[in-house]
Amino acid sequence: MDLIFILAETGGVAAELQAVGENLKSQFGLHGQLLFSQMIGFLVFAFLLKKFAFGPIQQMLDQRKMRIAEGEEKLKRIERQLAESEETTAAAIAKANDEAVRLINEAKQGAHTFSEQKAQEAIAQAQSILTKAEAAAKADRDRLIAELKGEFGRLVAATTAQVTGKVLNADDQKRINEDALAKVEG
Amino acid sequence: MRHFPTIIAVWLFGLALPLQAAGDGHHELPFNAPVLVDFGFFKITNSMVAMWLVAAVIIFIAQLATRKISLVPSGLQNLLETVIEGLQDFLATIMGAKLARDTFWFFGSIFIFIICANWMGLFPGVGTIGINRVNEAGKIIEWAPFLRGANADLNMTLGLALAFFAMWLYWSVKANGPGGFLAHIFVYQGEGKGFIKIMLIAIFFLVGFLEVVSILIRPLTLTFRLYGNIYAGESLLELMLYMGGKWFGWLAALPFYFLELMVGAIQALVFTLLTAVFTSLMCTHDEEGEHGH
Repeated sequence: MDLIFILAETGGVAAELQAVGENLKSQFGLHGQLLFSQMIGFLVFAFLLKKFAFGPIQQMLDQRKMRIAEGEEKLKRIERQLAESEETTAAAIAKANDEAVRLINEAKQGAHTFSEQKAQEAIAQAQSILTKAEAAAKADRDRLIAELKGEFGRLVAATTAQVTGKVLNADDQKRINEDALAKVEG
Repeated sequence: MRHFPTIIAVWLFGLALPLQAAGDGHHELPFNAPVLVDFGFFKITNSMVAMWLVAAVIIFIAQLATRKISLVPSGLQNLLETVIEGLQDFLATIMGAKLARDTFWFFGSIFIFIICANWMGLFPGVGTIGINRVNEAGKIIEWAPFLRGANADLNMTLGLALAFFAMWLYWSVKANGPGGFLAHIFVYQGEGKGFIKIMLIAIFFLVGFLEVVSILIRPLTLTFRLYGNIYAGESLLELMLYMGGKWFGWLAALPFYFLELMVGAIQALVFTLLTAVFTSLMCTHDEEGEHGH
């Protein structure tokens, strides 16, 4: 009984669907050829759009993305190289700094030694000049004293000869000189 | 911007045309697209002409944009790239990047075609410039505009839906294999033990039949949603033109033009979104890390 009812219902649905189909054809102008033409027309349109728009544009977008990725990769590499270079430069600067400090210290030490040496040399030279000057002064004084003594002796002898009216020989002159000098120095 | 007054003037002139042509009569938009040329085995309707026109304009612009394609985009190429990239990214959020890329030719075409066809239906002259067909007695039997909104024709929207259905079937079988395709619909793939698992297997098998009905209904819902919205929009505009009278019809219809601009875009988006979701449900898998089902 149920089966008959279901079949009848199914038949009713089929008839209903047929009526809907007829209605779609007559009222909405549903037509096999038109439907097929429009569908094929759209697929052709989609194919042409793929060929002329989507294909080239997608290719271009991919190419651009690839370029951007490459650029970013290069940028990272450059940054890495820059960091490495900065490290190397900093190390080189530090090394140069140490070297410079060492050289300056060495130079300072050298200069100090040199200055000391030169000062010693100058002192020695001054000492030598002083000694020489003293020796020269002493020689001069001795010479002047000798000359003075000679002159003094000669004057004493001349004076003695004039006062005594006696001609003095060499021994007399020598004795008078020595006496006079002894008195003067005494 | 400097062409704005000219565009408005042409638009208003176009709106005034049906009134001039029809006099005091009011042409109701028929449900079907009138046949313009009938070769017997091959008929050409005004919506078909509109479709060819839209397709030709889009392809012409696309070719113009990609003729001198360069790494640094400018002008039309820039515009086209923005549209394509934006649309592909949008689809990728629904279907995953790989499936979106593989099927973009179809969904991209669907969206661009529907939105352009809908908006072209709002151009002055579309649906308003045509001829009155008379019978042997000289009585007007049909008003046949030369152009009609392409999606205000059931043949067009059903054609789009069937084209999608065919592609959906192909992608689904390709992604799952014939057995996998059926298993996807009828077989329980979750976890469970003992009696509960047996129950779930039975329930899922029965639900599979409902799923088949749902799958078969999808093209119909897609067809009538798009057709209904666009047909209703065009009818509304015609009605407003009529209600505004001979001199102010354009003014009465003007606000609805903005509404129809929005409806045209929304319907294109809805059609694309639904078809993308249907495809995604069948072709992406949880283990791929994409949007599963």
